[in-house]
Amino acid sequence: MTPDDERYFERMEHRLDEAFDRAKRAKERGADPRPEVEIPVARDMADRVENILGIDGVAERVRELDGKMSREEAALALVTDFVEGTVGDYETDAGKIEGAVRTAVALLTEGVVAAPIEGIDRVELLDNDDGSQFVNVYYAGPIRSAGGTAQALSVLVADYARSLLGIEEFTPRDDEIERYAEEISLYDAETGLQYTPKDKETKFIAEHMPIMLDGEATGDEEVSGFRDLERVDTNAARGGMCLVLAEGIALKAPKIQRYTRDLEEVEWPWLQDLIDGTIGEDDGGEADEADAGGDDEGDAEADSDDEAETGPPRVDPSAKYLRDLIAGRPVFGHPSESGGFRLRYGRARNHGFATAGVHPATMHLVDDFLATGTQIKTERPGKAAGVVPVDTIEGPTVRLANGEVRRIDDPAEALKVRNGVEAILDLGEYLVNYGEFVENNHPLAPASYTVEWWEQEFEATAADVQALRDDPRVDLADPTAATAVEWATEYDCPLHPKYTYLWHDVSVDEFETLATAAARGEPRTVESDGGHGMVRPKDGSGGEVLVIERTERLRRTLETLLVEHVATDEGIRIPDWEPLARSLGLTPSLDRTWTADDLSTAAREYDDGDNAIRAVDEVAPFTVRERAPTRIGNRMGRPEKSERRDLSPAVHTLYPIGEAGGSQRDVGAAAGARTDEGKGVVNVEVGRRACGDCGATTHRTRCPACGSHTEPVYECGSCERLVEPDESGRVHCERCDRDVTSVEWQQLDVGARYREALDGVGEREAAFDILKGVKGLTSANKTPEPMEKGVLRAKHGVSAFKDGTVRYDMTDLPVTSVRPEELDVTAEDFRELGYETDIDGDPLRFDDQLVELKVQDIVLSDGAAEHLLKTADFVDDLLTEFYDLPAFYEVTEREDLIGELVFGMAPHTSAAVVGRVVGFTSASVGYAHPYFHAAKRRNCDGDEDCVMLLMDGLLNFSQEYLPDQRGGRMDAPLVMSSRIDPTEIDDEAHNVDVVRQYPTEFYEATREMADPEDVAIEIAEESLETEGEYHGFDHTHDTSNIALGPDLSAYKTLGSMMEKMDAQLNLARKLRAVDETDVAERVIEYHFLPDLIGNLRAFSRQETRCLDCGESYRRMPLSGDCRECGGRVNLTVHEGSVNKYMDTAIEVADEFGCRPYTKQRLEVLEKSLESVFQDDHNKPSRLDDFM
Amino acid sequence: MPLETPARIARELARRGYNAEREAVTLLAGAVDPATALDAAVEAAPDDALRLTTDHVRSALASPDGSPSDAGASSTAPDTSSVDTSTSAAGGDSSAHPPTDAPHTTVSTPAENPTNQSQSTGTPVETKGSQKGADSGRQPEPVTVAGDVTGRSTGTGEYGDFVSVFRDRYEKLSGQLRGRVNHRPATAIADMPGGSDVAMIGLVNEIRSSASGHWIVELEDTTGTFPFMITKDRDITDLVEELLLDECLAVEGTLSDDAGIAFVDALYFPDVPRTYRPNTADRHVQAALISDVHVGSQEFMADAWNRFADWLHTEEASAVEYLLLAGDMVEGVGVYPDQDEELDIVDIYDQYERFSEHLKAVPGDIEIVMIPGNHDAVRLAEPQPAFDEELRDIMTAHDARIVGNPSTVTVEGVSVLMYHGVSLDEVIAELPEEKASYDHPHRAMYHLLKKRHVAPKYGGHLRLAPEEEDYLVIEDVPDIFHTGHVHKLGYGKYHNVLAVNSGCWQAQTAFQKSVNIDPDAGFAPIVDLDTLDLTVRKFA
Repeated sequence: MTPDDERYFERMEHRLDEAFDRAKRAKERGADPRPEVEIPVARDMADRVENILGIDGVAERVRELDGKMSREEAALALVTDFVEGTVGDYETDAGKIEGAVRTAVALLTEGVVAAPIEGIDRVELLDNDDGSQFVNVYYAGPIRSAGGTAQALSVLVADYARSLLGIEEFTPRDDEIERYAEEISLYDAETGLQYTPKDKETKFIAEHMPIMLDGEATGDEEVSGFRDLERVDTNAARGGMCLVLAEGIALKAPKIQRYTRDLEEVEWPWLQDLIDGTIGEDDGGEADEADAGGDDEGDAEADSDDEAETGPPRVDPSAKYLRDLIAGRPVFGHPSESGGFRLRYGRARNHGFATAGVHPATMHLVDDFLATGTQIKTERPGKAAGVVPVDTIEGPTVRLANGEVRRIDDPAEALKVRNGVEAILDLGEYLVNYGEFVENNHPLAPASYTVEWWEQEFEATAADVQALRDDPRVDLADPTAATAVEWATEYDCPLHPKYTYLWHDVSVDEFETLATAAARGEPRTVESDGGHGMVRPKDGSGGEVLVIERTERLRRTLETLLVEHVATDEGIRIPDWEPLARSLGLTPSLDRTWTADDLSTAAREYDDGDNAIRAVDEVAPFTVRERAPTRIGNRMGRPEKSERRDLSPAVHTLYPIGEAGGSQRDVGAAAGARTDEGKGVVNVEVGRRACGDCGATTHRTRCPACGSHTEPVYECGSCERLVEPDESGRVHCERCDRDVTSVEWQQLDVGARYREALDGVGEREAAFDILKGVKGLTSANKTPEPMEKGVLRAKHGVSAFKDGTVRYDMTDLPVTSVRPEELDVTAEDFRELGYETDIDGDPLRFDDQLVELKVQDIVLSDGAAEHLLKTADFVDDLLTEFYDLPAFYEVTEREDLIGELVFGMAPHTSAAVVGRVVGFTSASVGYAHPYFHAAKRRNCDGDEDCVMLLMDGLLNFSQEYLPDQRGGRMDAPLVMSSRIDPTEIDDEAHNVDVVRQYPTEFYEATREMADPEDVAIEIAEESLETEGEYHGFDHTHDTSNIALGPDLSAYKTLGSMMEKMDAQLNLARKLRAVDETDVAERVIEYHFLPDLIGNLRAFSRQETRCLDCGESYRRMPLSGDCRECGGRVNLTVHEGSVNKYMDTAIEVADEFGCRPYTKQRLEVLEKSLESVFQDDHNKPSRLDDFM
Repeated sequence: MPLETPARIARELARRGYNAEREAVTLLAGAVDPATALDAAVEAAPDDALRLTTDHVRSALASPDGSPSDAGASSTAPDTSSVDTSTSAAGGDSSAHPPTDAPHTTVSTPAENPTNQSQSTGTPVETKGSQKGADSGRQPEPVTVAGDVTGRSTGTGEYGDFVSVFRDRYEKLSGQLRGRVNHRPATAIADMPGGSDVAMIGLVNEIRSSASGHWIVELEDTTGTFPFMITKDRDITDLVEELLLDECLAVEGTLSDDAGIAFVDALYFPDVPRTYRPNTADRHVQAALISDVHVGSQEFMADAWNRFADWLHTEEASAVEYLLLAGDMVEGVGVYPDQDEELDIVDIYDQYERFSEHLKAVPGDIEIVMIPGNHDAVRLAEPQPAFDEELRDIMTAHDARIVGNPSTVTVEGVSVLMYHGVSLDEVIAELPEEKASYDHPHRAMYHLLKKRHVAPKYGGHLRLAPEEEDYLVIEDVPDIFHTGHVHKLGYGKYHNVLAVNSGCWQAQTAFQKSVNIDPDAGFAPIVDLDTLDLTVRKFA
């Protein structure tokens, strides 16, 4: 860490301290469930682990161990501490094991995710058939967020603790072993597993596992075979257990083995068999299949070796990303299809960490379906990526209605010509950074020939490139045709990429035909061409265009090659034709230098004659590289997001009003409602609390009588004794052996409370439209929130999440360098934030200088800024009116938010990360440093999470509000990290590359399809634990603004599903890389048919509901009317919702020529629908009836 | 195409547009050169003939260019050695696994089927084959059909339709139980003083266990619901695990002191009377009960089917005058994801065409009745109407009787309840292993007979199409209950009703392999309609 970094963190922590002090004073007033701030600050991972687990002493021990050993080893070392009782305060063996297992999972997940608390329900000791005891670990669904390694290690830790405590191994019964196998298959079918062990593997693991893996049911589907087992309390699939066994033990066996070897007490010799993959080998066929499925990449490499002579190096197409295509989310390219995105290597400044750089002109031309932050499912290198705009790569090439074929590199031009686009011949380049290949362990795919590669090759020749660079008349990236030919011929350098066409996409035949046509062509000066066509030579007005014969075949060839031209009635006009002619083996005066016989057999038969690159090589006077050997198919995944998070219906106050407020949960209405108990009085369950000062009993957190803070009262429901909570917070009546809560039914005078709250904060009802409460509380002690907070939220138009905080969701995107200008702030603002220099080390003076972003600085979307402004106003009002303290923010416009702190908080985690606002963007995303996202354990492949205003979190969050159910403690800031330690974040972020240029060797290695690890390009990992670990993120590509292209994806602006689908199919027609029939087929197959079938099934086994009282019935009552209230009962699934897509599906199938199989499925379904919904006696008459 | 078997001859004739008398086919098969004989016979038949008769063949064989009829040519007699029969007297509760459980012989005529002797000439099969040996053609009577929804589906998917169907179920089944208990409406029971004796007939609305291990069964009638407790120490507790939601029950018991619940003393199912006397045919005639042909699947066992069809052409099968098919004629389209990858015939209409071709191999004088199953191209929701006009047009060749699922078909006075059997999955899943399992599918059928409903539970696997009346109620006790669907063979008698779940004609599929189901494929259970005895023949 540099002194500069230290200052940065101190500055942030200073502001944090200010906020903390204010919040502490507010909390001390006693009006909240607890009289202190409930989000403790964790300075490091050890702190987070301790805070999340709530086990004292863990942090200290973790810090002791952390320096000496790896985190995994530390987790195992801690087992001894738990067993010996030096850490944790557990009386039972089961408790000790539980503590050790939770701690291990917390450690391995850096104390961020909720898995250790939510994913492990309990550990218990049960009896083997021989009477000995064994250990049972009871997992729950949220164990998923721990990831495979931590899941597997949790089992190992449990076993290690077991052996230290001298508890016997688990001896499974045969039916239990079989049950594991059946259950894993069921879970895989229902939910899907990353890795599905074969039945034999599962049984093998189950048989040898020394502890029992158990868990709670996570789905409704039940196993059919091994049901009602004595030691398995559910017939449904136990999701947590399935994940641990399949994605943990089975998938991570080699990792576990590394640790079992070092532990004397633990012996899992059977792991070796798992690793060798010999289990289930004897049904060989299946095993081979599994291998073949997972090993596409390996095959690709093998292919390249064998076929080096007969075909070009290529990665194998993969169609996985097209699975589950749904209506309204377009396909941008079929797998590796010509015309799709062209892979270009590099990292833009707003790029890396599971993102894909796309030209903004492309975003507009795909009818605005792509916007900054839109998620795409992609063919490679990963599965999904977030789209970022990069305008320093090539844009799309289109054919316009007037016959012109043009590449479009300007978003404004794209918008101008968009209506005239007949076909999108090419989607332009697709920027992927080297680190993505490292992260996904994907072999490098052959690189496109680009300027950055060419320049390095040019420098290797005798040319004085530096002189050319300095020459103001020369643009190395954009030379004239003549210059390009000159460089190529004079210096023996490959032809400049600008004039290198996609020869590998046309056949040798087409190449010859084009050569012949070009030789017969006629160069014409532009002046004498009668004014046809818009395409003019770029090297000045005096140039010529080449006019060749117009045939469909030639047009198609030129379109495939991406040669810009205009097709007119008299011929195809090609400007800047010289490099093309030379590539075709013609002299500058269009004389042909070769005949068909001159081509070697190797060139002629290269790639079965479908690839003319060798032929070009033989006839051209210079080297021509492959322009776009790797195409990447993809389709739209999720749209980007920038939205306030509201519960549904929105909630202003976590105050229970029962049914009195109607379906809107309107507190005002409840206050005036006449109920059985009296006007404005409701009967609800709340926690009983008592005032420590005056002894009054109340449900409120502050004593209405004397104003002191109250504490919950726990009375055992069966023996009526008062019970005190133990150290871990559990309240348990020893005498009755039952858990106790403070909850009881009380009659609350909502009307009086409402008026009191309004008075308390000096507001009138007119200050807001509606104040929404909740029907009932879901927390353990059902502690209501002070209603005053709700009044102020309603006034400022914000709503509360389940934990009492106000949140705003945004899609995550990375950015490592920014211009103050694009963030709607000034260089001065930035200097005030502590930024002093730009990326080149020059003093920061101008708004358009590029500055490297600090790790915890974030950029808000416009919507987020507006929402945080409202929240700041709410918080200030709350401080002044409710807590009687000075305001904290005092903001009037969004510039005032610059430098303010927020919490970043991701779902499935329980730790918030402090961030600082540095600017705003019109894109609907949250841009921040990749390390910031990684600290929240997110990457940027379409993930989204939320920001909260710091003071709002400190004042309004309480664990007392969290739902008392599985997952209730997820997505809640149980702890906060005030500074990011790069070694304690999701290590995916360490794979972001940080260089300014990729070397020639890299490009050459891509053509060998090398392992990315074998190439030397610096990634962030290398600076870890050095002074420079917080900076030095360089990039290869700039972009003029991080918010180019449409602000919103068309998916969000189009109205109905039908409109979206029409747009999707319309786009499929325009895109050369897309097979529209396949798209239609998939939409029907994956969206319409499942919807129709599912709804028809739902119809024929539906529940019914009373329209009057809402009571629902599994089956229609025989009386016909509601048994509760006598009201009208009706269906929950109607004909309309069943067949809403039927007609559309049939139309689409017809229009796009879908397979008969698909059409017939629709036909059969249509008949089924008719049969169910039409009365045979009222059928429309058929002609036959009259014959 | 070599024409060495009767089935092939029949198919060839069908291809040329002819149905054929069994005798005619036998004659042709017996000819030295069946192909030439067939050509000649077709030539000899009048242009307007739809059915090739013995006369046509005789005249053709007699003509100079036809082959001389080589009477008694044993060498060309149909090869029946591949036909195994398992011996069984249907009456025991037995599951048939002929290859393993039951002794099987290659004797062509089952020994315990003496009546067959009177029909056939008694000569060993090897020596028959002459036109004289096969003098009696089949003369099936027309069948009558009841309880078929086809053409009477009036439901339009409204809430009222659902109410009607359950009310009808209650009315029909409570009628069966009225005589046994003194039913009081649920609302009336609620008003009775504690300690009263009560009885109620109702649909099972809910089954739950109490904390102390007792069972609470909530019954519903048209007035409301009332809870009944079955205490765990009672011997009727065992029955609780047989209960399915929405079946109709009668209970008798005593109201608790606070009159909030009643304790059950006795529990009655609509059931089949123990003394039920099934009807039988008054002549020796047989019916083949098969199902789940799955034509179009890659696993369809064409060879087994052909052997079966061949066998039907033999003398030994001459008493088989009816063929009852319990659904899943074809594999269908879109029944499960990516099904097209496992289809031999991807086009649904081509599947039915091919099925129709296979049906033509069955002697023309056998009366065929078929109902649809869940793979067929009709609505999945039950009751399922029969195939529509378009599909019927494809299957006209054999003039089969095409009815809905379920239907009660009366043949020779014997009523056969045909139901495809989707609910068997549910019964097997819900009931304990020993009461119903895939290895003993007929036991699951017994429960349906006991409940007098082919698919009682609503809201689970079953898809219900609401109609004015409940076609799934077993209003009248059938003599034979015939289902399929689970691809397992099992049969037995329940209160003298013969329950048969026929196997299938589809070898183990990839899916079945994955869940370890070993189907009983290529079996044809043959029932003697005069005795209701069952013989299982194996053709795989």
